[in-house]
Amino acid sequence: MTYETRMAWQNRMLLVPAFVLLACFILIPAGAAIFISFTNDALNGFAAAHPQFVGLKNYVRLFSDQGFWNSLLVTLVFVFGSSVVGQFVLGLAAALALSRPIALKPVFNAAILLPNAVPEVVAGFIWISMLAGGKYSTLSRIVGLFGFAPQNWLDFAPLLMIIVVNTWRGIAFAMILMTSGLSAVPAEVYEAARMDGATARQIFWRITLPLLRPTIFLYMLVSTAGTIAIFGLIYTLTRGGPGGATEIIGIYIYNQSFSAYQLGYGSAVAVIVLGASIAIGAIYVRVLKVQV
Amino acid sequence: MIGVRRFTQAEVSAYGFLSATLVFCLLPFLWVALASIDPNASQFLSFPKGITADHFIKIFTANNGGRWFFNSLITVGAATAVVVVVGGMGGYALSRTNAWWKRPFLYAIILVRILPPTALIVPLYKVMLIANGLMGALVRSVVPPDSTRSAMQIVGFVDGYLGLILVLSAMQLPLALWIIKTYFDLTPKDYEEAALMDGANSFQRIRRILVPLALPGLGAAGLLTFIGAWGDFLMPLTFISSAELQLLPIGLFRAFQRANTIDYGYLSALAVLYMLPAVVAFGFARRFLIQSFTGGIKG
Repeated sequence: MTYETRMAWQNRMLLVPAFVLLACFILIPAGAAIFISFTNDALNGFAAAHPQFVGLKNYVRLFSDQGFWNSLLVTLVFVFGSSVVGQFVLGLAAALALSRPIALKPVFNAAILLPNAVPEVVAGFIWISMLAGGKYSTLSRIVGLFGFAPQNWLDFAPLLMIIVVNTWRGIAFAMILMTSGLSAVPAEVYEAARMDGATARQIFWRITLPLLRPTIFLYMLVSTAGTIAIFGLIYTLTRGGPGGATEIIGIYIYNQSFSAYQLGYGSAVAVIVLGASIAIGAIYVRVLKVQV
Repeated sequence: MIGVRRFTQAEVSAYGFLSATLVFCLLPFLWVALASIDPNASQFLSFPKGITADHFIKIFTANNGGRWFFNSLITVGAATAVVVVVGGMGGYALSRTNAWWKRPFLYAIILVRILPPTALIVPLYKVMLIANGLMGALVRSVVPPDSTRSAMQIVGFVDGYLGLILVLSAMQLPLALWIIKTYFDLTPKDYEEAALMDGANSFQRIRRILVPLALPGLGAAGLLTFIGAWGDFLMPLTFISSAELQLLPIGLFRAFQRANTIDYGYLSALAVLYMLPAVVAFGFARRFLIQSFTGGIKG
């Protein structure tokens, strides 16, 4: 055996454990989702022991299911509100503010990073104290100072509240990415613009934003995929309720499968989500010309 | 001219915005921080009249908190070790190979990273049930009947630690592979080849050359794996049901769901304890974060 073939075999062998782990716990399940989605498999009862092929029945049901469409809409609003608007606007503003020489920079930085560092359950736990409990909640007491009536916020505006919480959690991600994007813009560009008498507003809209476009695109893709995948944060706050108001697609899959025990139907929803995620991933690889 | 420097309008708005954001980011933590040392903690924000360490002491003396904490530490620690070893080997191979499968494998890693775990959870549950059945048969054939149950708690796939450790590892592995591969790309092959010329065997090459060279990459992958697995909620929620095997996130969540008998001071202390390792690891991992978010794209 030559040195090259020996090295080639060595590399293959070294990858086997990684490949086995990924195959067993990600690739095979992803394939099995498609298979299960064509059956009436359930978590208990007769169908659990004797799952049968039902053809496209789960998919037909899906398209006429109010719960599914509601969940898609909630997911859309949630992704748009928290990652496209909330995190992005606040993260970009924070990156711009911190790009100038400013006192206490590490303090501001750490404060923005902290919500991103804590586990989802802790985030849910502390936001319940902020939002639940009517007039005792922190938010009710704050708006009370301005003369507004106290609310049970997770019942009053549940979707808006989980958008606020997820925005809170994700400013750091947008800020870090935008900071790296801003640092790639050469200082001479700004100098030249100022020489030509551009105002701060013009510089932002005509120079900063267009030059950040690749970074923004990258951010939008990664954060959309990440936001669709959120589970623990919403589950600890509302479990998808009240009445499905915060049931984003991941929560819907979980509730259908493990609360309503319908594994087949839950898998059909999962297949739709997997398809959409792979599409996002393909765009990501294609458009950004990932170097491997 | 002596005097106070006048702030420009842009500076004023920058400080104003950052201060408002700081309050927004930190305010929710105020309650948990105060409640964890307040002898009369409630669910709502109030200034403590005294200070106590009882809640923290209680975690390790009176209640299940300490057990949950160690359960989490064991499973997440084991998963991190698995990922560092398996990811280290795989990342090295991915960096050094030029075989045809290199590109497809790397693209597949990116796609896999984007799949939401919630979409995989049902079939994953099925796979784990089957694996658990096989493991059960194996265990029954080698272990006396009265200790089957405790053996399955360790090597089982549903309601057992081995399954949870492997699932947590698999979920974190793609990122680790990517980081370690990228790291090896930056380390020259020359050292290995020199060692080979000097007659070092494979084991010596790994121990003396590769591991020391790759340590920062392995460390980054380990930190990010730990953060990811430590914060994971879905996997322990789905795969662990026995009270004595419960991990910290689920224990905390269930205790919090129990109406009427919630000890807020104790749970707050537990939440603080739970977030500390994550925050410390996050502090160390900060400079690798861009890689973790974007999977190695040059922005």
